[in-house]
Formats: sequence, structure tokens, C-alpha cells
Amino acid sequence: MDVTLALQLLVQGVLLGGIYGLIAMGLSLIFGVMGVINFAHGQMMVMGMYVSYWIFVLLGIDPYVSLVVVAAGTFLLGYAIQSSVVNRILDYPEAMQVLPLVAMGLILENTALLLWGPDHRSPQTALGLEALWIGPVMVDVSRLIAFALAILITSLIFFFLKKTDIGKSIRAAADNRTGAILVGIDVNRIFNIAFGIGAASTGAAGALLLPLMPVSPHMGHDFTLTAFIVVILGGLGNLMGALIGGLILGVTESLSTLLLPATLKQVVSFSILVLIMIFRPRGLFGGKK
Amino acid sequence: MDKTRGTDKGMDRRTFIKVAGMTGLGLTATTFGVPTLLRAKPKTIKIGSIQPATGPLAVIGQAQRKGNQLAVDLINSRGGIRSLGGAKLELLLGDSESKPEVGRSEADRLIREGAAVLVGPFQSGVAMAIATLAEQRGVPFVMDVAALDAITQKGYKHVFRVFITARGLVGGAIKYYKMVTESTGVIPKRAVVTNTADPFGKGMSGGFLKAMEKSGLPVKIVERIQYPLGIQDLSAEVAKIKAAKPDILFPVSRIGDSVILVRELYKQKVPLMGIFGPGSPGWYEPEFVKDVGKLALYVMTNVPWINPLSPVYQKANAAWQKKYGGYLDTNSAYAYTGILVVADALERAGSTDTDKILAALKQTNFKDHPVVGGPVRFDEKGDNTGAMTALVQVQPDPDPLKRVKVVLPKEFAQSDKIVFPAPQLWER
Repeated sequence: MDVTLALQLLVQGVLLGGIYGLIAMGLSLIFGVMGVINFAHGQMMVMGMYVSYWIFVLLGIDPYVSLVVVAAGTFLLGYAIQSSVVNRILDYPEAMQVLPLVAMGLILENTALLLWGPDHRSPQTALGLEALWIGPVMVDVSRLIAFALAILITSLIFFFLKKTDIGKSIRAAADNRTGAILVGIDVNRIFNIAFGIGAASTGAAGALLLPLMPVSPHMGHDFTLTAFIVVILGGLGNLMGALIGGLILGVTESLSTLLLPATLKQVVSFSILVLIMIFRPRGLFGGKK
Repeated sequence: MDKTRGTDKGMDRRTFIKVAGMTGLGLTATTFGVPTLLRAKPKTIKIGSIQPATGPLAVIGQAQRKGNQLAVDLINSRGGIRSLGGAKLELLLGDSESKPEVGRSEADRLIREGAAVLVGPFQSGVAMAIATLAEQRGVPFVMDVAALDAITQKGYKHVFRVFITARGLVGGAIKYYKMVTESTGVIPKRAVVTNTADPFGKGMSGGFLKAMEKSGLPVKIVERIQYPLGIQDLSAEVAKIKAAKPDILFPVSRIGDSVILVRELYKQKVPLMGIFGPGSPGWYEPEFVKDVGKLALYVMTNVPWINPLSPVYQKANAAWQKKYGGYLDTNSAYAYTGILVVADALERAGSTDTDKILAALKQTNFKDHPVVGGPVRFDEKGDNTGAMTALVQVQPDPDPLKRVKVVLPKEFAQSDKIVFPAPQLWER
């Protein structure tokens, strides 16, 4: 086996995995707190990509800088979705929670289609083509930055949930909704914030992906699925699990191309999903039931 | 249902017969009594257009639709189909979403809505599904773009193809590759073929591999890499390409993956004499040329192309620019041609009767089209014997929209020099 190739694939897998982790973390957080699965997740990420695209094209501000604005924007979007739709469906059977969120995904997807058209857009960002070389192995700079920022954002969210009052309220509401209401937490507002944070981390992931791949309105769906696999791998509702699950998926997908044709990539990821479902139904690191 | 409601709101059999009889009489009276009035108002002929307007190929699908529409507008502004009393064409829109089953059900819907002819659908997989349905339903189906040979190999009577076949496409690729290497004296030894794993990508690259082998050209295909349609990351694939140490790359791609591919080739510094597309989208679209900038330069693609020198193209392109902006590219030009061929057949058929349309389509000899190639004539299988490819290369030009230039064959060429080998991607 070609060692350079294997190393190259490993590096790329790890870096991509970090971004997978960030995308999935939002999904995991939303599930962990509200118990709903955000089927509009990939579409929210695409929105993040488009907003950072817009900022880049119109104002010339690099996605790594506009990240903050994009995250704030998607936070508001998430907040609005939670307060207008999701809060009303929390007590419904799961099957009924699916539909409004799928619908939300369709609305976002078609809004993107209306606003930006069907083209694959991929503007040339400043660092988009930079690469570092460690011996014969190439490290893609935009991937590296995305990876580092993904880890940073994940840590910030962790810190926020552990140390701040709102973070503690979120965990309380996730743990025991009735209990949280009884001690005077405004659970609906807390839920809005939690969904907002989930959406913001996804939007941020979108901005990080912009230099890496062309954005088009219909790509969201695939990312919802990817995020789903990652979350199930790490354990639904387990944030650290999402990050590690992302890394595992990224590396496995990347290394699998050594032995299998790339067309079987999805077979690999879904086989992992099935195996996890059979042997560790609550994910590698345990999750919410 | 309870009985009272039935008698209250409905009508009994006698009333029904009476009303029906009177309506029938009335209708007969209008048809026979005042025929001139009716005939003076030209009727419309519906043409069903099924394209992948949403989904991974939405960019192309919508351009195809626009191409169809532009030709319909042209025919209508010229006074419609004259032999049918100036009947106007009307485009019924169907969206295949890039899925064969959806394409089929959309075609079915358009037939039920009265489509006399179907056009479309850009993808061979979808074309196959629609061809079977068109044959069953007895509706002529004129494929504007779809290359897979097998679609027309089943002896269908209702299926025609304006586009080139995959075999023709592959033949063009080998022919031009040979011409380029012989004229420049640069002979690549190792090559990698990549393709998207949809029916077109597989068929096209499979056919190319076989033809390459048979051609006896001194280039060895050392690796074939396939990846799914709509892939978002090609870093692992490009690492594999690099490990195979090719001199030249033969990509069969789609829009989107070509951008990722070329950027990744740059980042991983894969040394190449050049990129030569045997025949696929992705390497000449305005978005690609603009977004990728100098990395897009010198890519060569064998492609059924517009004929930039023809007046028909120039006129159609002007209309396109006025209506949609940008320029009329090869796919939409074929979509445009498809409608022109249908209109030409309708004109000669002088009827919307399927058999007459089919007979007219078989007699087609249509020269006034905007694409590279001879007159559109259909052989007994329904394939266009005049279809032909050109070799285009992206060459430096201050206006990104003018960078894609026909370099071969000479009679259609816009630029007489071919840049090969190309400077390495990172040395530009």
C-alpha cells in the first residue's frame, strides 16, 4: 500500500471529520435538549453558506471573518423556527414532529433557489487555494482553519453549557422539563436559545465549508443525512460524541477510498450506521434514550 | 351517502340525458354552424418539456428549459406552424428532479395534459424511462440531450435523438485526442479516467476506455476513479489520482465536481500535461470559467458544441442574452434545436396526428440549427446522423464569457492554436 497516499487520506479525513462534527453537533444539541430531530439541518447549513457567500461577493469579506455574522443570522433563524414552530409541536408524537421540520427544510431550500438560483457557486476566497506541505503530504489550509475553528466553536459551546447561567438552564430543561419549569426557568425561551445555538453552529459550519465546496440550493439534504449518521455514531444528544463521531466518519470515508471505489463511500457510512444501530443502539458514547 | 342529498343536488338520469343531448346539439351547432370563426382562431400545439429543473443538475435543467422556451418563442413570433393555420406552440413544463421515475411520471402527466410531442430530458437514465413510456403511449419523443446508445437500440418507433450518441461522442474524443497529440508532438504515456457514477458517466467513460484500448494510441489508462453524482469532496480521489502519476487526466464530470476536482488538483499539486474531457459538462460553463479563473485555462473538452459562426446561433444567442443574460451554451442550444426540429416536422406534417408527425420526423433534413454538425437527419433507429462534436479549449481572454473557444475541427474553429502541454496549475 502506498504510505504517502494513506497518510494523505488520513489527514484529509481528520480535517473533514472536524467539520462533520461541527455540523452534527447542532443536530445533537437540538435533539439532546428538545428531543426533536431537526430535519431542516442541512438546509440551515446551506443558508449559512449562502449568507457568507453573499457577504463575500458583495462586501469582499472573507468567510472566516463573516462567520460571526453568519452564526448570528442563523441563530436568529433557529430562534424564530423554535419559537414559531417547534415549541408548538414538542408534545406531539415523533412522527408528527418530523413533518413541520421537513417542511421547514423545503421552505429554506426553495428560498435559496429563489434568491440565488440553481447555479453551483464557488467564489475564489483568499485562502481557498492555499496548501501546506509536510513532506509529501499536503494539508489544505482552508480545511485546517475550518477544522481548528470547528474545534474552537465546539469548545465554546461546551464552556457555555457548563459555565453560564443560560447554559445551565438549557441543561436543566433538557434533563427535566417539568422540573425546570417548577424552579422558574422560562423553558420556551431557553428552548429558543438552544435551537438558536444549534442553528448557529450549523450556519458557522456552512461558512467554513464555503471555500471548500460549491454551494447550490439542493445540497442540504445530503448534509442532514451525514449529520444524522455522525450523531447516531456518537450517541444522540451527546455533544462530544458528535465531534468524535464526525472524526470517525471523516477518516473512515476517506480511508475507504484506498480499498473501495468512491461510489461506495455512502455504503461505508450507512454500513457504519447500521452496525452502530445493531451493536450500540445508543451510540459509541451513549446518548439520550 | 344519504339518499336525500343525491336527489337534492345531483340530477337524475333523464335530466342528465336531456342536458347532455342539448349540450351535444349546441356543440355540433357551433362546430358545423360557424366553422370559420373557430378555424380563424389558431389552436395551440402542446409540447411537453421534461428537464431536471431541480436537483443536482438544476443549473443545466433550467437552462434546457430556457432553450426549449426560446425556440418556442421564436416559432410563435414567426407566426406559429403555418401549415396548421398558424397554430402556436405551447411548452408544458415537467421536472424530472434528475430521477428516472419522476421523469417518467412527469412525462405521463404531460401526455395526459395533451402534449403532442415530448422533448428533453438531459439525462440518459431519465431518457430511457421516458422513451419506454412514449413508446407505450404512442407519443413522439425527441431527445434534445441524452447520449447513451442503448436508448435508441430497442427499435422504438416514437423515439428520436437530436443529440449525438455516446458512441459518436467517444469517436470524437479519440479523433480529437489523436489530432492534438499528433499536431503538437506531445505524447502522454499514463492517464487517469474519472467519472460520475450515473448512467451517463459510467457509459461514457466505459465507452471511452474501450475505444482508447482499441485505438492503439500510446497512452495507458492506469486508473479509473468513479464517484457519486453530487459529491462534495474529492480530496481522497485526487490523492489517488496523484498516486497514479498520470500525464493526462480524462474526466467525465458534471457541474460542481469539476470545480472541486480542479481546485484539489491545484492544492495537491498534481503534475499534468493537461486535462482532456472526453465529453461531459463541467468544463465550459460560465460559472466554472468564472469561479475557477486561471485554473480553468487550457482544459480541453470534446463536446457537441454550438456553432459560434452560424447566423442561426448568433440570432438565438442575441435573443437569449436579451431575455436571460449570459450566453446560449451548448446544452441549451441543443434544447433549442430539439424544438426547432419538432416545429419543422409539425410544419411538414400539417397535422397533430401522431403517425403524420412520426412520418415527418423520419423525413427530417434540417439545416438551420445553431450547433456544430451537418443537417439533422434521423437514421432508422432515430439517431441524428448529422450530429458531431467539436474540441473546445478554455483560452485566455479578458472576457470570461469568451474564453471557451472551438479549436477543432478547423471549419468551425475560433482559435487556430491549441495549448498543449498546458502550464502546471500552480505555475500560472
